[in-house]
Amino acid sequence: MVFIFGVNFHEQKLVKKALETFYALGPQTSDRILAKHFIHPRMKMGALPPKTLTALTAELSTMTIESDARRLLQDNIKRLRDMGTYRGRRHAMGLPARGQRTRNQIETAKSLNQVERRG
Amino acid sequence: MSAPNCLRCLVRPSTAIPLAIPRQASPLVAPFAPFSTTTATAAKKEVKGHVRGGKKLVLGKFKKNKVESRVRPPGPGERKAYRKRITLSNDNAIQVPWLTDMGPGSLLDTANVAKVLALPEEVQDQLRASEAFKTTQSWKMFRKPSVLVRTETVDLMNRIQGAVEKRQTLRVAITGDKVAGKSMMLLQAMSHAYLNNWIVIHVPEAHELTTACTDYAPIPGTEPPQYTQPTYALKLIHAIKKANEKILAKTYTVSAHPELPQNIPANTPLLAIANAAKEADGAWAVFHALWNELTAQGANRPPILLSLDGLAHVMKTSDYRAPGFDRIHAHDLSLVRLFAEALGGGVQFPNGGAVLGATSRSNTPRAPSMELALAQREAEQRHADPAEVPQKDAFFRGYDERVEAVLRSVQVLRLGGVSKLEARAVMEYWAASGMLRAAVDEKTVTEKWALGSGVLGEMERASLLTMRI
Repeated sequence: MVFIFGVNFHEQKLVKKALETFYALGPQTSDRILAKHFIHPRMKMGALPPKTLTALTAELSTMTIESDARRLLQDNIKRLRDMGTYRGRRHAMGLPARGQRTRNQIETAKSLNQVERRG
Repeated sequence: MSAPNCLRCLVRPSTAIPLAIPRQASPLVAPFAPFSTTTATAAKKEVKGHVRGGKKLVLGKFKKNKVESRVRPPGPGERKAYRKRITLSNDNAIQVPWLTDMGPGSLLDTANVAKVLALPEEVQDQLRASEAFKTTQSWKMFRKPSVLVRTETVDLMNRIQGAVEKRQTLRVAITGDKVAGKSMMLLQAMSHAYLNNWIVIHVPEAHELTTACTDYAPIPGTEPPQYTQPTYALKLIHAIKKANEKILAKTYTVSAHPELPQNIPANTPLLAIANAAKEADGAWAVFHALWNELTAQGANRPPILLSLDGLAHVMKTSDYRAPGFDRIHAHDLSLVRLFAEALGGGVQFPNGGAVLGATSRSNTPRAPSMELALAQREAEQRHADPAEVPQKDAFFRGYDERVEAVLRSVQVLRLGGVSKLEARAVMEYWAASGMLRAAVDEKTVTEKWALGSGVLGEMERASLLTMRI
């Protein structure tokens, strides 16, 4: 088991996939992180030297990921709502915000458009 | 005549069983113990609970019972090992009586053209250590690994030998059609080198170096930055050590190497340097020291053969990324750089040698500069009219100056089909091994030769690897 940023990963997990498990860290960013630390794309977690592990953790702690990124998202929605914009109101009501019809097929909007959006 | 069993209750009539069995009678025989180690009391406990008889409700009885396979799943790496294994002998193949072993001078002799020669045991081990055999080649069909000596083989070996005698380095790029025998030509050159006690450094698959599947690290203080591949370097050192052990033990260092994990003073066998590589961390330093020692000018060194299979992979940008997310050029990877410099003529081996690079026609990337450079060199070798020498496409941007610089002065050996005489020799060997069940006459040879237009791999496909007999 290998620790990065307080999360435990299996030794056989690809470093790239392990990085992508963090919220708001996608394939593009993970590729760049790998390049920055001279990690080849097929490296497994177990093969990472301890120095790189600490460097990765330090790098991740400076990034806006996980709860920071979620809070940013919620703040943006709250800001829209507090300004009283149409998009903010639609989010508060859990309805589509971009002019879609609401007669049917709004399950996605119902689950996602909330002021306290999960992510 | 009475039946041995009571027909009504299936109890064997016995005098020991009383006719009226009391309800709570103590058992007549000791309770049946499932194992010899189970005590009688333990066995008794099992019987104690209420055993429900009669019909049972079975849910989902129409579901098919899953048959759990009792086969042990293959362990990690087992499948790959099976896929990559090299079988060099087939006990079911007939031993070919007239087959002779290859000797140190066999591949130089024109009398051996269109003959099949067997690889001696020791050379087999050396070739196996340097991964010269490939799974795609049909070694597993024959009793003993043997190779066909072609006109090109003798020609190339004589050129190499001539260069070595003049203490020069021959630089050749081997190219040609699919399955024309490019890797096999490398193998023949390597066997020639092993038989003549040269040192052989062979990169079996160039793509392992450039497709970003092995780890890399920057070399501090290099501008433009260069990168090492520690794990691959370690693997390569082990292969070199295993294949060239005898010669390395007889070759001595000229300078001390205090920078290595083990302190190596001057006048130590080179084998000691190779043995110093225990971990991937210091592998590149060890390899670098070994290479410097092998190429030390003025020292008494055996000739060196440096070969690489899959040239196109090292003649383009690699899949590795620099910290700025730019792709790293293959020539910035230190191992590839070393080969490229040698192929470009930047390294002089102290006692001569050869640098061979073979292109591949399977799983190969486009390397426009390499293709163009090879075509140009070929045209120059033919003394073609300057107007016929291929030129760069003015509207194409994908050319690579570094590749052009490396391939500016190499010789090109193009492999095509074999002659009919050679085809007949190899088919006679197949028939003598019992793998080709047909009379080898003019008709069969011409048929198979024409099917593959003389390309050995195609002939093999047409006659050996098909079930139609």
